[in-house]
Amino acid sequence: MSKHLLKFTVNGKKHALVVQSHERLLDVLRDRLGLKGTKEGCSTGDCGICAVLMDGKLVNSCLVFAIQARNKEILTIEGVGTAENLHPIQRAFMKWNASQCGYCIPAMILASKELLDKNPNPTSEDIRKATSGIICRCTGYVKIFEAIKTAAAEMKASD
Amino acid sequence: MFVPQNMGDLLQFLDTHQSGVHLIANGTDLINRIQRKQVDPKVLVDLTGLQELKYVKKQESLIKIGALTTISELIASPLIDARYDVMREVAMKFGGPSIINMATVGGNICSASSSEDLLPVLLVLTADVQVRSIHGERIVSIEDFVTGKRKTGLRSNEILVETRFPELDADSACSFEKVGMRNSLIIAFVNCAVYLKTDKSGQVIGDVRIAFNRVSGKIPQRSRDIENKLKDKKMSEQTLADATTALRDELKLTSDFRVSGEYRTEVACAIFKRTLRRCVEKLSGERALV
Amino acid sequence: MTTQTTEGLRRPQTLIVGKSVGRVDSLDKVLGKPIYTMDITPENALYLKVVRSSVSHALLKKVDLSRARKYPGVVAVVTAQDIPGINESSALLPDKPLFATDRVRFAGEPIAAIASFDPSIAEEALELVDIEYEPLPTVFSPTEALEPDSPKIHTNGNVAKHLKVRKGDVEEGFKQADIIVEGTYKTPFQEPVPLEPEAGFVIPEPDGSVTCVGSIQSPYHVQTGIAKILSLRSEQVRVIQAATGGAFGPKSDEIPVDVLGMAALVAIRTRKPAVLAYTREESMIGHTKRHPFVISLKVGVKNNGKLTAWEAKLIADTGAYASLGPLVVIRACFHATGPYVIPNVKTDAYCVYTNNTMAGSFRGFGGPQAHFAAESHMDEIAKKLGMDPLELRLINMLRPGTLTATSQLVDEGCGLEECITKAVKESDWYNKRLQYTKLNGAKKRGLGIAIMYHGNSLGPEGNDFGTVHMQIDRDGTTRLRTALTEYGTGAPSGLLQIAAETMHLPLGYFKLDASDTEYCGDSGPTVASRTITIGGRATQMVAGNLGRKLRQVAADMLQSSVDDVEVTDGVYRRKSTEQSVTFLDVVAHAYANGIPLKETGTFTAPKCDYEPQTSQGTVYLQYTYGAVTAEVEVDTETGRVQVLKIVTAYDVGKAINPISLEGQIEGGTIQGLGYALMEEMIHKNGVVVNPNLGDYYVPTSLDVPEMKSIIVEYPGALGPFGAKAIGEPPIVLPAPAIVNAIDNAIGVRLNEIPATPDRVLLALRKATAQS
Repeated sequence: MSKHLLKFTVNGKKHALVVQSHERLLDVLRDRLGLKGTKEGCSTGDCGICAVLMDGKLVNSCLVFAIQARNKEILTIEGVGTAENLHPIQRAFMKWNASQCGYCIPAMILASKELLDKNPNPTSEDIRKATSGIICRCTGYVKIFEAIKTAAAEMKASD
Repeated sequence: MFVPQNMGDLLQFLDTHQSGVHLIANGTDLINRIQRKQVDPKVLVDLTGLQELKYVKKQESLIKIGALTTISELIASPLIDARYDVMREVAMKFGGPSIINMATVGGNICSASSSEDLLPVLLVLTADVQVRSIHGERIVSIEDFVTGKRKTGLRSNEILVETRFPELDADSACSFEKVGMRNSLIIAFVNCAVYLKTDKSGQVIGDVRIAFNRVSGKIPQRSRDIENKLKDKKMSEQTLADATTALRDELKLTSDFRVSGEYRTEVACAIFKRTLRRCVEKLSGERALV
Repeated sequence: MTTQTTEGLRRPQTLIVGKSVGRVDSLDKVLGKPIYTMDITPENALYLKVVRSSVSHALLKKVDLSRARKYPGVVAVVTAQDIPGINESSALLPDKPLFATDRVRFAGEPIAAIASFDPSIAEEALELVDIEYEPLPTVFSPTEALEPDSPKIHTNGNVAKHLKVRKGDVEEGFKQADIIVEGTYKTPFQEPVPLEPEAGFVIPEPDGSVTCVGSIQSPYHVQTGIAKILSLRSEQVRVIQAATGGAFGPKSDEIPVDVLGMAALVAIRTRKPAVLAYTREESMIGHTKRHPFVISLKVGVKNNGKLTAWEAKLIADTGAYASLGPLVVIRACFHATGPYVIPNVKTDAYCVYTNNTMAGSFRGFGGPQAHFAAESHMDEIAKKLGMDPLELRLINMLRPGTLTATSQLVDEGCGLEECITKAVKESDWYNKRLQYTKLNGAKKRGLGIAIMYHGNSLGPEGNDFGTVHMQIDRDGTTRLRTALTEYGTGAPSGLLQIAAETMHLPLGYFKLDASDTEYCGDSGPTVASRTITIGGRATQMVAGNLGRKLRQVAADMLQSSVDDVEVTDGVYRRKSTEQSVTFLDVVAHAYANGIPLKETGTFTAPKCDYEPQTSQGTVYLQYTYGAVTAEVEVDTETGRVQVLKIVTAYDVGKAINPISLEGQIEGGTIQGLGYALMEEMIHKNGVVVNPNLGDYYVPTSLDVPEMKSIIVEYPGALGPFGAKAIGEPPIVLPAPAIVNAIDNAIGVRLNEIPATPDRVLLALRKATAQS
């Protein structure tokens, strides 16, 4: 396995790391950068739990070789908001008790962000489609849909 | 992993390393198979830096799509307008945003896996692929290019750079349908793509092309016998019924661990009718079958 | 969502209980904080990979680990021979070893574990293990396993449990019937799919004890299991639950003991921390799933709709090891008639071994299987009588004053009728069913109904107690500690609401500490939706005591009697003089005067008293009731079923947190929808062929129907504020309601779930061919 220099930006911060050719973006985020918010659910790209935003687009980080993230901007859940400065999406998820076991929540929040950043007026159908690649086993999705609607309204109001 | 700086780099590398090389566009299929230990590649070649292979353009009455265009980039292109909604029909059932943001047109063609959705559509659009090596280029019809499950005519020193198909004119339409276990993230039980060209009146079938996935050899194939039965016929429920009966006899879809071949064949016939009808609707904006 | 109170029942007003307040764990989860097991693994830890059997039944002639041991980077290899204590990891019956020694009984059974600092090296070393199997005869069907000449999986035969219900005389009952209806129903292995696969790590402590951290439901079960394996005293095994990404059952019994047991063996051998994380595939093969059942029913009914006799035979496939199979079968057995008044009942339920992978606890615990059969059968009976299936249910349903199948008296806390009426109204039952008969075209629609009852908490399944500890820090943080774990249910947050309500303090003062055996007493397992019912009662007790203590301190400060002190929202006021002190004043005073502000208490539920041979008597202390309607559209050309709308109505006794409750209902409903239409773990010769999320289908956001949840409240005798169990019931009824709706739509009865498109189409074709 060969080694490569990976230069990329994660949550606004520039990084330069030496990575192995087969290393996945998921492994680099969790193990090399200590960003544990991105989860591993299935390792085969079927559950969406590992999703992050790469140049603003939702991707499954277990399906991306780390080296393919070169020169890109990655956003993980840690970059969405902080306790002192929650993103409206995070606030909305809390308001609706949309997080149960919490394991799908980082991916759901990032999927919501991809949606709302490009479509501030999503229909119910848009919301379902935007979250269709992420499995949630606890909530039945309903409160997640409500949270996204609320977040959309709040984000529009503050514009 | 080899990360080529440019096309020349890549072609040179491919020419000198003939075996054990796996090209990855966005790796979705391959990384999966590495995880499941189905493959252990010696060398990976990352193509994602070749931005010049991301495009959708119209040239010489052909729609040309660069191999590294992702499915979501494809459906966002202004050239893929309502006439080409078939691409959206494919994308919708493909998977969620994170899948279509990564899956590339070229990657899909080359992985030629039996769950392929794009291939039946490209087959009925009589698409060609353009492959390139350090020695030059060649154009191959997609039908000749995909030879078996995970087998294409791509030589070890070549990469696929583009797929292209003739523009749809005012009298032609294309549609796609897929049936699986749930509404998203599905491997199809069966999918169907239909291309229809009528005469100016819309009453007579001029040309029709039909393809289903996982036919024989586990790859998508055209159903030419049925196409010939429909060609030049008047558009009517009877014509459709006769074609469906013939289809049921011709299509001997295989079983898998999930569902029987009989079921797949039955459903294939049902969605063939629907897909053909949708083409008619697209052409006329209303139901035209008598 | 509507909260209904019953006329005539006066209940005290509550300020915090009954409110849709936020959950205590939400902030960390929306921030993506590192709180799950694999986020907090120790530095310089060894990582394990498990050597598993590839055949389903065989003698182990040879297990050669020498090449693996020598592989560069492999630090330790452990087998049964490395176990200082007992080679057992078993939830109920002592039938399952931690590591197989001379024999394997299912494909995937653990044989050894390999550890390295680099997990990929441990993975590579798996290829270097040489195992020689001598195949033994196999049996994969539980009905076959009951045959006398079937291969024996365990020395005592293939029946792990046989349970009976005998009420009245069914033969007499059949004689009184005008018609007798028979049917057989089958349910599959349903895979729980907690999104976080099993994980755990063990740290060997300098004093010889071990600290275990993992994704677990029941810390004390793990403590007992690990202590047995390591030959340590319980006090030498500390178990801490990390945030757990979903559980639903498999993480409550022997599986966490498997995970932590294997890690512990490596840890004590090497004196290094040891981590084991299952892959998704390993999780799906190695952990317990829902028991497949074959249920045969024979029911006698009069022309006027009154049921006279109900005979049921239930056969459950528990796989190679029993896990909690016997208890699952008990619950299925007691609920096998559905929530109906039937004078004569004969039920026989068998928990049977096969060489399939293990079945065990999974939300519903026998209830879904029993109700799938009973509620499908009720529709068949209605059909034979020419009666509306709703009508048949209303005639026979349990009401206060009637007796269950185990002759238990139904008390006033039974809201079944109100659940049915409300669900029926919301679903527009009569209009839609009429309307839909007139539909032409390939897509047909129908409405179906199913009703249930669900015995709360453990009932006959074990000692039912819960322990809660509370203490107040100097800064006023009021901590609640319990071994009843949070893994998504929100129930522990509900305990804080109960505590706040009881003590008349603002919810913001309260904090939930981790479930850690070091300072939380044993509460039994976190299962059976008992956190609110049993844990809630313990909380009321402990909070009550601590609250009284605070009032006493306040009284002393106010120079008054305790009776003259009233607490509202954290302010202690002397009623007669209007003087007051704040909570913080009281806490400071207590600390200054050496008055300990801590209380521990255990609530033990009364034992269930019933006759063991006939199961007549009180089998559960209270019941949750429910009614669900499903509206479906069936594509008669592809067999695909879309669920358009599901209406649920549950009698929950008292909703502690309505929005969290809805979340549980919605989540369980969608799991039930998956069970009905698409979920099936498929075994071929005992080998799981779809152990991944690409081939095992759980519902996605695009599969969710319109949902309406109705809450009905008839207080139960057991739970705090009359609260009843609601974690499990929502998964029970979607399957029969949907299958009944399919029948209404296309006139075809599906006796087997999941009602996948091919099964629906096949059934439709058969029915058309026959007519």
